[in-house]
Amino acid sequence: MAAALAEGLLVDLVPYGRRFLDLEHRWLNDEGVFWWAVGGRWFATKAGLERERLEDDHQRHTQFGLQTKDGTPIGLVGINWMPPEHRAAMLTAFIGDPAYWGGGYGTDGLLLLLQYTFDWLDARRVWLMTMSLNERVVRQMEKVGFRLEARQRRATWAANGWHDMLTYALERDEWPGRAVLIERLGLQA
Amino acid sequence: MFEGTLVDLVPFEDDYATYLESWMNEEAWFRAHLWDRREPHPEDAVKKYIEKMEKNERAALIGYQTKAGDPIGGLIYDHEWSRVRKVEVTFFTGDSRYEGTDEVLDGLLMLARYCFETRNMHRLDAMSLAFDEARIDALRRAGFVHEGTLRQHIRWDGDYVDVELYGLLEDEWPGYAARIEALGLQASDLEPKPKPEKKLEDEKALDEKILAP
Repeated sequence: MAAALAEGLLVDLVPYGRRFLDLEHRWLNDEGVFWWAVGGRWFATKAGLERERLEDDHQRHTQFGLQTKDGTPIGLVGINWMPPEHRAAMLTAFIGDPAYWGGGYGTDGLLLLLQYTFDWLDARRVWLMTMSLNERVVRQMEKVGFRLEARQRRATWAANGWHDMLTYALERDEWPGRAVLIERLGLQA
Repeated sequence: MFEGTLVDLVPFEDDYATYLESWMNEEAWFRAHLWDRREPHPEDAVKKYIEKMEKNERAALIGYQTKAGDPIGGLIYDHEWSRVRKVEVTFFTGDSRYEGTDEVLDGLLMLARYCFETRNMHRLDAMSLAFDEARIDALRRAGFVHEGTLRQHIRWDGDYVDVELYGLLEDEWPGYAARIEALGLQASDLEPKPKPEKKLEDEKALDEKILAP
């Protein structure tokens, strides 16, 4: 098993390798993908995922596997896109296993990702999009200090209805550092 | 040809392909494509871009011109998301004399008409750099609603600038005719520019032969 690239309280960031890829097929055919894909569901085949992986040039994005302290793979966090001239990183996160929703695992992973993006990549700002139906992520954004910058009306279709797409962003000078946020949020191992 | 009030929509070919060799390296293009790295686009890159758009079923590059046939610029339909019936729209004013005119607004209205009335879209997304007043004015007059500001999102000429997000929904679109009637568009009556110099096809073929290894 690869060594942790960053250690959190509940999760570690590790390379998104074979152990994660083997689970991806199940995750992408399961309920979790609905939240990540803002209402989309797929019938993803193993062959199709493998093909996509081979065609992906990995130039545009960075993916970390997210695993619990006992080494169980639970999802990913990463950067979808960060054009160097703008230094604005578009983030992504996905907890594939519903058993780990709501227990602070995603937030712990997000704080590690923010630390990496600001401290190592020198991003000026980070941003991400979610749908208004995703109350769990909306709460997380507010807790961590992201600001709601845009509400695109009826911009996605999910669960048989239209929902707004929300863009949240955090600027470097609004990021108090991981230690401060851990204390403020009361995150514990 | 799709006929509008002040402009018509035409396939992006012939003179448009020639004009794009300069347009794609000018300010109006970069403002319309705010993510663009402002890299130079040589002729090959321009040709590839046109081909890429032609092959992409979820995109369209459309020329728009005055009633006298004077090319103004391009209308772009891109990243169509079929599940949500949503598409990103933008436009550029290649001929800068038309910047801020009702011809450009009619081009945008014709693009909206195409998206809603032909492609059956539910929603149009549009973006603008915060200082691009002519674009913002056209979006507002066309009925787009401001939906947010991405703070200092784009590096532009030594500074970071805000990006304004706009959206237009199908139930906010009263139809092209109704929108035109409410706006009372005025033609700017600019003189058509001279046609671009064009190499004869046999001259091109000769060039290629000479350049071939």
